Amino acid sequence: MFEWLESTSVAIWVAESLWGYPVMLSLHAVGLAVVVGIFSMRDMRLLGLFSGIQPAAFLPLSKLAWVGFIVNGVSGTALFTSQAVTFVNSTPFLLKISFIVAGMALAGVIQSRLRGELAGSGGDAVISGSTKLIALISLLFWIAAIIAGRLVAYI
Amino acid sequence: MLESFALSIVDGPLNQWIQTTYWLWPVLEIIHFMGLSLLLGGLIVIDLRMAGHFKALNPAATHKLLPLVLIGFGINLVTGVLFFYGDPMRYAVNIGFQIKMVLVFFAGLNALLYYWKINPVMHTWDANTVSPPIAKFVAYASLLTWTGVLLCGRLIPYVGTG
Repeated sequence: MFEWLESTSVAIWVAESLWGYPVMLSLHAVGLAVVVGIFSMRDMRLLGLFSGIQPAAFLPLSKLAWVGFIVNGVSGTALFTSQAVTFVNSTPFLLKISFIVAGMALAGVIQSRLRGELAGSGGDAVISGSTKLIALISLLFWIAAIIAGRLVAYI
Repeated sequence: MLESFALSIVDGPLNQWIQTTYWLWPVLEIIHFMGLSLLLGGLIVIDLRMAGHFKALNPAATHKLLPLVLIGFGINLVTGVLFFYGDPMRYAVNIGFQIKMVLVFFAGLNALLYYWKINPVMHTWDANTVSPPIAKFVAYASLLTWTGVLLCGRLIPYVGTG
């Protein structure tokens, strides 16, 4: 199946055209900055930093993070197809994907908890200890995803 | 100028240390990626609010993210200088790196414009304040230049050497 992926026209364009791979890689870096940038700020806010910013502000901002995630889903898939067999056998790559899936799942959990904790509190809710713990784990997952992602090129 | 500086540091002690410490380059890259996430992440919120989006955000409160942006910039300045010292001849003649540095310079000028024109008045904004054209300009110029910095940086390994 992964050999077949490498033979698709998208894969061949990414792998062999002059600009396919670098352009996808650059888009992937921009998407990373949007996703990790917004989610890490949300997590730091929930952990008690930047107390002037209402936690409620991160509900609409998370939608923007999802836009970044879609950019990286598309660019990441294009990059993956070009060397599917290599990537699927790379431990750092598999770890990276796991951390991203876990980070996005926690984003959903945090989103619904925030809505619950903000309901009827005028937007300045006290963040519960369990939500703080989830935010800390989320922050660590995104850091781990960057580390594993960069190591794909080295290990 | 850049090339003669590169020539002066090639084979120096810092250059040698970076080149011979095999784990250092990937570690610097990881830290550089975290730095750019802090820099861009903070600026996305500050700039989009400055341009008039996400009105639910208190405009003055977004400025609490500025230290985070500056920490991100500081991290990337230090790791970036180390990249340059590690492989000076490659960066000095690389068109991606050269354009990136020009864009960082313009982003710096834009930041000065922000401190001069917008920072003094933005704390008086409330949810109904319409962003003045100068604020929109500074906000979008910031997002565009920093995105350009990111794109040029990522393209360094793929573009020609001058």
